[in-house]
Amino acid sequence: MKITRRNFIASVVGGVVGIQVTPLPWKLTDDAAIWTQNWPWVPVPPTGAATEENTVCNLCPGGCGISVRKVDQRAVKIEGRTDYPINPGGVCPVGMGGLQLLYDNDMRFPGPMKRAGARGEGQFVEISWGEAYDILASRISKLRKAGRPEAIAAVDGNAEGTTTSLLIQRFMRAVGSPNYVKPASITDTYAMGNLLMLGKSTPMAYDLENSDYVLSFGCGLLEGWGAPGRVMNAWGMWHDANPAKRKTKVVQIESRASNTASKADFWVAPRPGTDGALALGIAHVLISKGRLDQRFLDNFSFGFNDLTSLSGQKKPGFKSLVLKNYSPAQVEKITGVDANAIVSLAENFSKAKTPVAIYGKGKNNLNGSLYEFMAVQSLNAIAGRINRPGGVLLPDPLPLSPLPDFDPDEAAAEGLKKPRLDGAGSPAYPFSQSLINHFAKAINNSAQSPVDTLLVFSANPFFTVPDGGGFKNALEKIPFIVSFSPYRDETANMADLILPDHNYLEKMEDTVWPVGLQYPFFGLSKPVVEPVNNTRNVGDVVISLAKAVGNETGGVFPWENFEEALQVRAKGLFEAGGGMVHYDPSHPAWRFNPFRSIPKPTYGSFDEMWEAMKSGGMWYRPVTLGKSWEGLFSTPSGKFEFVSQKLAQAVMAYSHETSVKEAFRQLGIRVSGAEAFMGHYQAPKLGVDRSKYPLFMVPYEMMNLAGGWIPTPPFLYKTLFDSQLLKNESFAAINPETAAKYNLGQGDRVLVESPAGQLKVRVDLFEGAMPGMVYMPLGFGHTAYDEFQKGKGVNPNNIVNALNDPVSGYPVWWNTPVKLTKV
Amino acid sequence: MKKENDHGKPDAGHKALHQSRQKYGMVIDLDKCTGCGTCMVACAAENNVPVRADQTDKERTITWMRLYKISNGKKFPHTEVSYFPRPCMHCDHHPPCVSVCVATATKLDFNTGIVSQIYTRCIGCRYCQAACPYGARYFNWWDVFPQDKGMDRYLSPDVSPRMRGVVEKCTFCHHRLMRAKSQAYAEGRREVAEGEYVTACTEACPAGAITFGDLNNPKHAVSKLSKHPYAFRLLERLGTEPKVYYLSSRDWVRRLADNFLPGEYQPVVNRTWAEEEWSTKPGRDQF
Amino acid sequence: MDSPLLPHGVKRCTPGVFFLWTLPWLALLAWGGLSAVLCLWKGLNQTNMSNVFAFALWIVFDLAVIALGAGAFFTGFLTYIVGRKELKSIINTAVIIGFICYSGAMAMLGIDIGQPIRGWFIFWHANIHSMLVEVSFCITCYLTVLAIEFIPIILENRKIEKVKELRLLGHNLHEVMAVFAATGTFLSFFHQGSLGGMFGVMYARPFAAREGFYIWPWTFFLFVLSAIACGPCFTILCTKLTEFLSRKKLVPDDAIQFLAKMSGWLLTLYMVLKTLDYLGWIYGVVPRAGLTFMDFFNEGPYGVWMIIVEMVFCGFLPAIILMTPAGRKSQGWLIFASLLNCTGIVLNRFLFIIVTLAVPVMPFDRFWGYLPTWQEWGIGLAVIGYGFIVFSLAYRYLPMFPKETALNPLPVE
Ligand SMILES: Nc1nc2c(c(=O)[nH]1)N[C@H]1C(S)=C(S)[C@@H](COP(=O)(O)OP(=O)(O)OC[C@H]3O[C@@H](n4cnc5c(=O)[nH]c(N)nc54)[C@H](O)[C@@H]3O)O[C@H]1N2
Ligand SMILES: Nc1nc2c(c(=O)[nH]1)N[C@H]1C(S)=C(S)[C@@H](COP(=O)(O)OP(=O)(O)OC[C@H]3O[C@@H](n4cnc5c(=O)[nH]c(N)nc54)[C@H](O)[C@@H]3O)O[C@H]1N2
Ligand code: SF4
Ligand code: SF4
Ligand code: SF4
Ligand code: SF4
Ligand code: SF4
Ligand SMILES: [Mo]
Repeated sequence: MKITRRNFIASVVGGVVGIQVTPLPWKLTDDAAIWTQNWPWVPVPPTGAATEENTVCNLCPGGCGISVRKVDQRAVKIEGRTDYPINPGGVCPVGMGGLQLLYDNDMRFPGPMKRAGARGEGQFVEISWGEAYDILASRISKLRKAGRPEAIAAVDGNAEGTTTSLLIQRFMRAVGSPNYVKPASITDTYAMGNLLMLGKSTPMAYDLENSDYVLSFGCGLLEGWGAPGRVMNAWGMWHDANPAKRKTKVVQIESRASNTASKADFWVAPRPGTDGALALGIAHVLISKGRLDQRFLDNFSFGFNDLTSLSGQKKPGFKSLVLKNYSPAQVEKITGVDANAIVSLAENFSKAKTPVAIYGKGKNNLNGSLYEFMAVQSLNAIAGRINRPGGVLLPDPLPLSPLPDFDPDEAAAEGLKKPRLDGAGSPAYPFSQSLINHFAKAINNSAQSPVDTLLVFSANPFFTVPDGGGFKNALEKIPFIVSFSPYRDETANMADLILPDHNYLEKMEDTVWPVGLQYPFFGLSKPVVEPVNNTRNVGDVVISLAKAVGNETGGVFPWENFEEALQVRAKGLFEAGGGMVHYDPSHPAWRFNPFRSIPKPTYGSFDEMWEAMKSGGMWYRPVTLGKSWEGLFSTPSGKFEFVSQKLAQAVMAYSHETSVKEAFRQLGIRVSGAEAFMGHYQAPKLGVDRSKYPLFMVPYEMMNLAGGWIPTPPFLYKTLFDSQLLKNESFAAINPETAAKYNLGQGDRVLVESPAGQLKVRVDLFEGAMPGMVYMPLGFGHTAYDEFQKGKGVNPNNIVNALNDPVSGYPVWWNTPVKLTKV
Repeated sequence: MKKENDHGKPDAGHKALHQSRQKYGMVIDLDKCTGCGTCMVACAAENNVPVRADQTDKERTITWMRLYKISNGKKFPHTEVSYFPRPCMHCDHHPPCVSVCVATATKLDFNTGIVSQIYTRCIGCRYCQAACPYGARYFNWWDVFPQDKGMDRYLSPDVSPRMRGVVEKCTFCHHRLMRAKSQAYAEGRREVAEGEYVTACTEACPAGAITFGDLNNPKHAVSKLSKHPYAFRLLERLGTEPKVYYLSSRDWVRRLADNFLPGEYQPVVNRTWAEEEWSTKPGRDQF
Repeated sequence: MDSPLLPHGVKRCTPGVFFLWTLPWLALLAWGGLSAVLCLWKGLNQTNMSNVFAFALWIVFDLAVIALGAGAFFTGFLTYIVGRKELKSIINTAVIIGFICYSGAMAMLGIDIGQPIRGWFIFWHANIHSMLVEVSFCITCYLTVLAIEFIPIILENRKIEKVKELRLLGHNLHEVMAVFAATGTFLSFFHQGSLGGMFGVMYARPFAAREGFYIWPWTFFLFVLSAIACGPCFTILCTKLTEFLSRKKLVPDDAIQFLAKMSGWLLTLYMVLKTLDYLGWIYGVVPRAGLTFMDFFNEGPYGVWMIIVEMVFCGFLPAIILMTPAGRKSQGWLIFASLLNCTGIVLNRFLFIIVTLAVPVMPFDRFWGYLPTWQEWGIGLAVIGYGFIVFSLAYRYLPMFPKETALNPLPVE
């Protein structure tokens, strides 16, 4: 029929109406709803069999027990283990975010790689493991043939005493280089202090859980000090909601209202770097009031009372010197802490049943001051808190078997005769194991880098060394850098060759005595997922590398793989006996004799123990006291030494080489007599015009920001406040009074300038900041990793103007003179 | 402002129901809380909460559990900071968000007290966000996940990733309740015992600051703690009846939990150790 | 050239001039169109809305235009139910304005929700407790009513009228218009009310909470009242604008004056109740929440001045002008008062939406600020552009003002 306007309209209208009575519109709307739930870009997590795998977190030396929830082969969640002694239940934010470090491709290396772009660009091309070994092995052999094995150097961030770090040291010794360097951490300060006062570098063992009065000199108890899982668990116990169970008081000594300071029962704020004086001020009150453990002082201590030198004349000892130089009034001048407060601190300390004075500086990532530590230990000693429940314990180190000794071949022997670049162990730094900041200086001060090939293990010195960018410059001078990092960190981006390690969830690894723990503990982590990338356990890599370098070096590593080496050491644990491989929360490991009788080991053979350790992830013994006082100290006097004879001898030896005056100058000691060999306070010699740099910059650490080698899991950025990081700018906390002097308001931009450099930050007006100080968080300012980290904030390490800590030579990173200029 | 509950059942007269009814709740001890943020991370990891390159935009970043930093505002060295970890309060009386929801995409469950959120039904009108005084609800302003970074490999199948344009919030990890129930049923039990169902944040807290359980069950730790003299809730006087309680021995912290007219706030008799020890002796007030 | 489409016996500008006139409004539409595409494609991250400002500029626009559009149902009510014959000369205008406002609002809402494709869940999974559900139901139904009211006007177009069936349809619709007017009145009463209810029921938001009048939040009644108090004034303003632009009188004074008088009365009544509301709020709701009135204003740009402006300058002042015969009879004062009246209502909606959300409830939370993006402005302003275009087309092609010919007889050539 012919289409008129009329029937056209009719048919259209009819059609429209007709469709309404079909199911079509209903079907469409319903489908529409389903589409909105099924957009292809909304990820659909595959389902599958759910399993839990136990292991140990290695993101910090804390050694928390974790269980990883898996769906088929995917790890989907990390949870704390309630059946683990360190951290019954919880973990820290970094540990909780661990899966992002495992699965974020942009943060990790896909496999062995060779540098393609310019240094620092992070441009690499993948190569095979074989090729990677060849490149490095041939380079090392060349240097050995050329008779300069010492030009091979290693920076090793693996915790002291772990099997990985032993293998790396062994490797360096086998190839013949003395230049094995570790980043300085608080454990170095402990080891050195204990060596001087106890005569042995026993593990630092603070019996926190059994203490009723914790006097914390700068330990970031809630910022990540010690074994964070353990410390925060203790914190929870100390603050039980039931007043009857709330026995422990915590006093925080720190210049900033940190979380620890705020949450502590009491907060004392001395000027940064004066903790030692405060400790001795408290000692002064205890001594003058006679609140001392006379028995301990008489029988087991040396140097408390006045000394008689060989020539027979009397010299003032610890007691006289403290009474002379550290009266509350004098200490108030040094520290800014009210004299009355010092008195009442002392009273509460001595009134407490089981007080303990603990020493630290923020997290463990950085070193402390030797003399400060000695002063705090002295306080424990005069109060008789050494080797007493709730005090400072003196346990023996873990009974791990040593790796068999060996004689380096002559090429190596020659190299090992050469002096260390960082001067550690030399007369000027007699007790230091390694001095990473001096290592960098040595390279920067020589026209041509004395290091030809640098091997970097589990460390990111480019970012973490507080030396105003010194290490960064050193890296630029070193001809060839090899990184074993699984992550694309700043140092790795400077490398020419990448031999990536597994992520901690993909590898076997040991945790040796978490920092500050009071009972022997050995943690064993195991792979819980198949490696995501073409990576290898650095332990295995070192072994293969040694074999690739040559028969001599290879012969030194008689093991098939890393696990064998681990077992060799663990044999010692089995032979020592009495170790427990299962944990029952109702018998806490920190409780003295938790069982009526020591339970029989649940294993008969080493293999049984090993299997149990792999599934349980632990070997430990409940806490005990040193059985006999005799032989507890290995000092020259056989006693606890307030005045260290080891130190005195070292200084004397050095003065014979030069002069007494020169020796003191070199060692940075600015006091005389016995005071030089005991814990004391000496004003730092800043050598900076304070009128130009009137303020101090103090770096600080946060629990929810990874400060060291490990990248911060992206989730953690949710936990930061926008007064800490806003867009890409980080903040410096400044007291409103101080800020007012520069008419700075909240959020204003400001240049923080030190002699070492300058950084642009925004101002966070914080009443809890000590006037005259500029507090900057460590952990921002990455130039590597991926979009989550790169370019977020600034890194205070870049402007730290570090002096040498007297005797130890470690960097004094906690007070850098700075000035502010408003932008 | 009394209203029937949101299932239209009158609150009165349902004794029997009330007996059987669970009322899951949480007590957070602020004296223990270290401000570490593990609870926030645990929540995000447990519930497939998206991450974006810039998380500092606190108006748009999704944090089902969120730490609020507070300060006593005193001058140095009397300054103290503390933290309020803030999940969804699972308001028990006529939850502001539930009654307003246009699509019944969020409901107060009568049997558990859990205020749920069905992403698949939410239309994204955001009325619930306007109604919630705790800022506990979060809108998906962006499409969910960083693509092609491999990060979707850690996503958990227990919780469906949300699509753009819907609101999400803390659900008391109720998929964990389902897991615990299936477990209990598999073992032929009808009830979920205390501790069998705990939320991810509770489990993760390294200081053990969070306690979770059934407020209706006098044997559960939460119901004991919720009656502690230090116990209080956020914005209590608005009448939302939060099922999240807080403990603090510090009065300045408790005072910040609600709005008070001059003279209205009653300090709790118990005082902190610091005060007891030091108010009488030369102490922090001296310097 | 489009003369056969123009109504009988009226003078209209040339198509060219008319086209030029529409250009700016088309531009606004284009801007809005682009914004809409971006918001639907890339998502609401194109806006500056946030978890704090869950409601923002668009909702303010929505509530404003819906209040201003209230002239439609109220005039309809007076014309068909009360039977004020003189309003027949302005009812068409009122209806068209209403249609524009409501259709515009609906369009904006469609973009405002995060999951537009699921919009229909409001009806499918309706939650009877939600004021917004009530709003949605009523507005949708009422928009249909408005459409039906609009149809006969369209059918009166000179060309369409030629089709017998359609002319009949139009005629019959006119006959039953009272029924729709009644329905419209009923629906409008409820959605205007529940729009107020939306905010009054937020009992945990002390700035907005107004619960306590039996089962109702009393904002329910305040919103109805304020809407019908300003709606007529908006109709007057639009008419006056048309008269100004077309340089001729289009509506006899009796109609205008009656509307103005009604507005005056209603606004006065509203101001009395609104005063009581503020007192009840300041001395009841606010202290119950542990707050004082001033606590809401100690941060941010929003201050007490807004409330003073709302009440005094945009409330009592226009009320007085409209109540005094001399005032409303003077062209200038009438327009001035109408402007103030409409501004006041918009300001009132702004307070309830933006300030409510800007003020933190938790003592330790902080105040947040908000500035719309160009995309938000684009969509908001597009509604205005759309309004001008529909209104202009209607004026040009439809006998929108029945009295126009009578008031402006063409010179016989
Ligand atoms: N945190 C939290 N978790 C919850 C809930 C909660 O409130 N909070 N609610 C629970 C409840 S009650 C509900 S209703 C559910 C709702 O969530 P689910 O039960 O998971 O169902 P959907 O959300 O509809 O689908 C989840 C995802 O599956 C994907 N999908 C769609 N079709 C298919 C398919 O054919 N195959 C596969 N493999 N995937 C598909 C889509 O991307 C969709 O986003 O969430 C449950 N989980
Ligand atoms: N548009 C749209 N609508 C949907 C869906 C969709 O995909 N799209 N999904 C549909 C689906 S799959 C579902 S399951 C529903 C989900 O919606 P519903 O199951 O109807 O309700 P929800 O509250 O979301 O989810 C589970 C409820 O049960 C409560 N609950 C948890 N454990 C228990 C228990 O042990 N006992 C009791 N009595 N209650 C418990 C939770 O607190 C929560 O309130 O929504 C349906 N609606
Ligand atoms: S504290 Fe250390 S070991 Fe424990 S979870 Fe955190 S990172 Fe891992
Ligand atoms: S995890 Fe525990 S301690 Fe850490 S912030 Fe959350 S509640 Fe506080
Ligand atoms: S806290 Fe907010 S989201 Fe949670 S139930 Fe209450 S009102 Fe709803
Ligand atoms: S945004 Fe979703 S949950 Fe919130 S009210 Fe709207 S539909 Fe309900
Ligand atoms: S209960 Fe579950 S969902 Fe809620 S905050 Fe804690 S972890 Fe997140
Ligand atoms: Mo479901």
